[in-house]
Amino acid sequence: MEVRFKLNGKEVATATASNIRLIDLLRDKFNLTGTKEGCGIGECGACTILMDGRAVNSCLVLAAQANGKEIITIEGIADGDILHPLQRRFLSNGAIQCGYCTPGMVLSASALLSQNPDPSEEDIKEAIAGNLCRCTGYKQIIDAVKETAKELQLKQ
Amino acid sequence: MMPRFEIIFPDNLSDALSVLSSGHEHMQIIAGGTDVITGLGQGSNRFKNTKMLIDINNIPEVNGIEIGREKISIGGAVTFSDILQSEFIERSFPLLWKSVSTIGSVQIRNRATIAGNFVNNAPCADTVPVLLVYNATIVIESMSSKREISLYEFLSGPYKTKLSRNEIVTRINIPIPNKNLNGDFYKLGRRRAVAISRITLAVLADVNSESKINEIRIASGAVTPIGTRFFDLEKIAKGKKADDQFFKDMAGKLGEKIIEVTGLRWSSEYKLPVVQQVFYQLLKGIERG
Repeated sequence: MEVRFKLNGKEVATATASNIRLIDLLRDKFNLTGTKEGCGIGECGACTILMDGRAVNSCLVLAAQANGKEIITIEGIADGDILHPLQRRFLSNGAIQCGYCTPGMVLSASALLSQNPDPSEEDIKEAIAGNLCRCTGYKQIIDAVKETAKELQLKQ
Repeated sequence: MMPRFEIIFPDNLSDALSVLSSGHEHMQIIAGGTDVITGLGQGSNRFKNTKMLIDINNIPEVNGIEIGREKISIGGAVTFSDILQSEFIERSFPLLWKSVSTIGSVQIRNRATIAGNFVNNAPCADTVPVLLVYNATIVIESMSSKREISLYEFLSGPYKTKLSRNEIVTRINIPIPNKNLNGDFYKLGRRRAVAISRITLAVLADVNSESKINEIRIASGAVTPIGTRFFDLEKIAKGKKADDQFFKDMAGKLGEKIIEVTGLRWSSEYKLPVVQQVFYQLLKGIERG
């Protein structure tokens, strides 16, 4: 079957099978390997992407279900070579160690900030509750999201 | 590894029902897919005959939340996130809103549906005890029939329901509760997010100005084989004075009832005191109104 969707701003069309998951399509067909597979059952959030602006686990979506949707992966969040403010703040706060959870964390945080530009600490914790990080202990990640929110608010 | 299957996306109910009416033993309805896709991927027995998935997300009849005078009607493909965005549900069905907000994670809630929660009917389905105390009914349609039954009647055993293979849950109807009904929902899991619930309890009660219990509805999940109501206890409580001693008696009786339903387990010694204490706290909550 053929699926068409908008991927990181560009219309794409590709042949796929009914039993292929979106994560596999993204990684294997489009070489977007920033989307990681951790648990494969929706518990760790490493495969988080944005589908029509909402954070979803791409291991729990079939490629065919992406038809007609707008998909954003971690590769589509920067503006060319200029990192997204969340990415810069993750770096400056040391919110990255092994990096495996980072793409998912950044996308969950970006979904939060697009809906809620002034999140409380509790809002941030809730937004990333579905993303496991085994390195940082979360503090640096929460700080990075807080600082980004402030930065983006000042810009407006 | 995913088995081989086809997937179709009907855009109206009659097409979906017509496909289901032929060869439905190999068909599986999918909406959010958070149970179905993991089940297929892990080779679960429940999905081993699946040759075709029917994705119902594009069907208008199973979408949307309609607010009526006496009830709300939630479509079978409505996600938990859609429910959380409804201010009316937050205000008029606070226990439902609260239970939905504790489910999975943002990512799960953005896909998973409330109908999927009770059609899957895991013992730990968080919205089940809450929907039971709100007296939810569900509309089930096939090519040749349309019926509406109570959720209580619909749930027949762990991972089992009265849904036939040729039917779709199209709507969930919940009567708008009278203003005197107050209550709360409690959930205990091992991790805050994406945790399988160990204990869930929901209580809704109408206590009058003289502290008399006009009506009480009690339901549990996870500690019982499926989410269930405690009609015997509700009957005992009706007309009684809502005071501390009575709440303690009720908490004791709930514990006995749970043992009666589930039998003694290795975990009973740990869980029972917690269930009883939580239930007591929930009752104290209704006393305060």
